[in-house]
Amino acid sequence: MKNSNLIKLCVAWMVVCIPLGWGVYKSVEKSMPLFKGRASPPAAASGR
Amino acid sequence: MAFLDREHSVADSTFTRWLVPPAALAVHLCIGEIYGFSVFNVPLTKLLGTTQSVAGDWTIPQVSWLYSTALILLGLSAAVFGKWVEKNGPRKAMFTSACCWGGGFLIASLGVRFHQFWMVLLGYGVIGGIGLGLGYISPVSTLVKWFPDRPGMATGMAIMGFGGGALIGAPFGSELMKRFATPTSTGVMEAFLVMGLVYFCFMVFGAFTVRVPAPDWKPEGYVPSLVQKKLVTHAQVSADEAIKTPQFWLLWAVLCLNVTAGIGILGQASNMCQNMFGVPKAVGDGFAGFLSIFNMGGRFLWSSTSDYIGRKNVYFIYFLLGALLYSLIPFTQHLNNVTLFVAITAVIISMYGGGFATIPAYLKDMFGTMQVGAIHGRLITAWSMAAVLGPQLVTYIAEYQKARHVPAAQSYNFTMYLMVGLLLAGALCNYLVKAVHTRHHHPGTSTVPLTTIPKQP
Repeated sequence: MKNSNLIKLCVAWMVVCIPLGWGVYKSVEKSMPLFKGRASPPAAASGR
Repeated sequence: MAFLDREHSVADSTFTRWLVPPAALAVHLCIGEIYGFSVFNVPLTKLLGTTQSVAGDWTIPQVSWLYSTALILLGLSAAVFGKWVEKNGPRKAMFTSACCWGGGFLIASLGVRFHQFWMVLLGYGVIGGIGLGLGYISPVSTLVKWFPDRPGMATGMAIMGFGGGALIGAPFGSELMKRFATPTSTGVMEAFLVMGLVYFCFMVFGAFTVRVPAPDWKPEGYVPSLVQKKLVTHAQVSADEAIKTPQFWLLWAVLCLNVTAGIGILGQASNMCQNMFGVPKAVGDGFAGFLSIFNMGGRFLWSSTSDYIGRKNVYFIYFLLGALLYSLIPFTQHLNNVTLFVAITAVIISMYGGGFATIPAYLKDMFGTMQVGAIHGRLITAWSMAAVLGPQLVTYIAEYQKARHVPAAQSYNFTMYLMVGLLLAGALCNYLVKAVHTRHHHPGTSTVPLTTIPKQP
């Protein structure tokens, strides 16, 4: 592969991977409480 | 505008096919925003009151029409313009999609500015929805042609972008509203404006990066399999002919049932987690975010897997494993085991995403590459229907259970068992898929199975 093609390829993948990586990071950040939070017995399970 | 034509986007011999997936991703990452649109729901109901809804403000049911209309138009435009996309090539289709999607946001922004709901509906719902449909199908047939050796992986990569678009769109919209909000404005108008411009530029990047392969092009070292597989045709079927085959409608049902079942969890993930396990809202929302990562990842992983084990087999996994996992969900509540619940639902959602991503390669196997984009476009109506009717069905059941005074923690059980039924019906449809009859083949493209050719002495 020619050098110019390789550069184009790297740039094209970076253009899509950077925002995608940011989106994944934000989702992981948002899902953190899931791993930190503790489940309590479901309040609604005993009644209405 | 001749530079947008198919003839002007044929790749030369130095072009690398690995530039096509990022071009497709650029489009899908933008249009995938539709899944993250809910971040605008509440702000759109406070445009006049800013901090709270006041008389004259739009309501949530009204605002939810924006999302529904866009999804309906996605299906319709993909079905109607599929052949146009095939004829004019991916570059013109992607560019038109960019104009519709970006322009739709700008019109919606004006609608917000003047508080005219019809204008927002026209911009985001109708024009944006057409952009969604065009953008969704535009790279599919091109990718299949560039990657005849790995069509599942190639289309999986693009359609993964649609899942990823939600991961970007929701926080992007929230950050913009936060940035532009003032004591007298929710910041929605400015957010729509910026998003329209950014998405337009990003999609145009995709349009100018994409190329179609030369008619005689083949990947280096690629030798098409000489062994005729029962469900992989070397013949071609036109879009008009495809819809006359039972295979098309079976695959339509396969997609529709798979999507409906996935929505059973995705649509109410946060509430389910809260009601079943008593976790706080932040944890429930975290669960929804966690699932969206699997929705995205599953698209690539399962679709790539289908290149090795076959499309029909991978759909059997989606349906049968999915049915088993859905039936286990009530037990996770009984055991109060959140970890098990999260693990099971993550696998289910990965298969929901996988269902979307594997279908173009399944269509390619059944109908060939000639008009696979147009056939895919027509099949997308199954998704539109499932996306609109699925949540209605789930909401109706939840309300019915509530009316019967079923405890909230157990109110999802019936829905889960219903999903098991839908998935088993999907497995049956998948089982019934057989090779397309030769009478549907495009003249001159039928091939005689090599197994029937007598061996040379």
